[in-house]
Amino acid sequence: MNILISIVSLLIFVLASVPVHASTLRVVTKENAIREYCKFFSPVKLKVRYNDRLDAISKEGDWFRVRFKGIKGCIHKTAVEEKTFTFSGILGSRTQAASSDEVALAGKGFNPEVENSFKSKYPELNFQTIDMIEKYKIPEDKLLRFIKSGGLNLPQ
Amino acid sequence: MKKTILLLLVIIVSLSGCRGLEVKGVSKPMDILASSIVPVAKAARPISDEEEYYLGRAVAAKILSSYPLSKDTKVVEYVNMVGQTIALHSDKPYTYGGYHFAVLESDEINAFACPGGIIFITKGTINATRNEDELAAVLAHEVAHINNRDGVKSIKQSRWLEVVKIIGSKTVKEAGSERIPRLVKLFEGSINDVFKTLVVTGYSRSQEYAADTKALTYLSRAGYNPKALEDFLQRLYSQNRTSQRGILKTHPATMNRIKNVKKNMPVKTAAITPARTKRFNRIVK
Repeated sequence: MNILISIVSLLIFVLASVPVHASTLRVVTKENAIREYCKFFSPVKLKVRYNDRLDAISKEGDWFRVRFKGIKGCIHKTAVEEKTFTFSGILGSRTQAASSDEVALAGKGFNPEVENSFKSKYPELNFQTIDMIEKYKIPEDKLLRFIKSGGLNLPQ
Repeated sequence: MKKTILLLLVIIVSLSGCRGLEVKGVSKPMDILASSIVPVAKAARPISDEEEYYLGRAVAAKILSSYPLSKDTKVVEYVNMVGQTIALHSDKPYTYGGYHFAVLESDEINAFACPGGIIFITKGTINATRNEDELAAVLAHEVAHINNRDGVKSIKQSRWLEVVKIIGSKTVKEAGSERIPRLVKLFEGSINDVFKTLVVTGYSRSQEYAADTKALTYLSRAGYNPKALEDFLQRLYSQNRTSQRGILKTHPATMNRIKNVKKNMPVKTAAITPARTKRFNRIVK
């Protein structure tokens, strides 16, 4: 009887502290894409936005194979935040609750509301030009041609 | 029997963190313990990528009040293509708002990496480079500062702790009208901290050396010749020994940077291709 209790308690203790396979990823960039293959410049299957939750299927190098809105594809690891679950997390532990709280707080520091108030205080600062700089984008096919024609390496 | 009770206690302690598990006399003290621990965890939270992005936008706007933006569309496109290539080969190809490269209309030799991903390079710096690989080297150094979050690190710790305190405080949440002015004041202070580091004092020596070392890696991964960074610094050193303007004012002694770059130079270095030389000469020269 004692042996059985020992084994059960040890199992619970280990499962409670060791993270098991992650199942959810949160998009941490303003926008990004789920691509057909796990590499840059691969065709885009679906656009994703900040805070979208993706189901992780597997990890391939620096990429995650994911599922979102029924579509499967790949997303780079730096575009998402991995939410690891522990056994205690599955049961709804306090660690998990604190983590969710942190996520909620993440947008409450320096955010658009604060920026807008700052802009009103300093109307002389040229945020329109900053918006213009951010809108400027090199099309992917053009960048790909640039890399290839320059004898450079394709990012993995 | 004692052993059984002890083992049962271990199980109870293991599960005591589980929501919904009501153990009389155990769950209540655990609640109190948890509520006293959580604020400390919140206070330790670093600045998020999203917050870094908004800070970087404001720092960039402030830099634009000192330097006019270049309207040379060909050069801007070229700088963006070289910069994006480097960013894709960096440790963090994606930031919250992405990488954006802009050219400043100034003869000064300087470049600025605003938190989050906006990178400014002056016309003077572009003109001081001799080939695409040297231009890539300058941009790789700035991308490395963003990867290392060096801009954000210049914010006074007490200021950031105050931000976290405000957003975590229930009383301030309730009195929402007070929250924004206080956050704006701290936002402004943080912008000034970063701006001062970028434009006036510069990063620490160790941050600069680390950015140079990472730049060598990014150049090598991208297929650029990492020796281009050494070549550029060497020329900067020879031509501006007595100058104290721009990059020379805010960066550690160029000779020490050259020594660090030489020490960390990758063994395999790619050659500069004629195609790169041709497009550089067509657009920049």
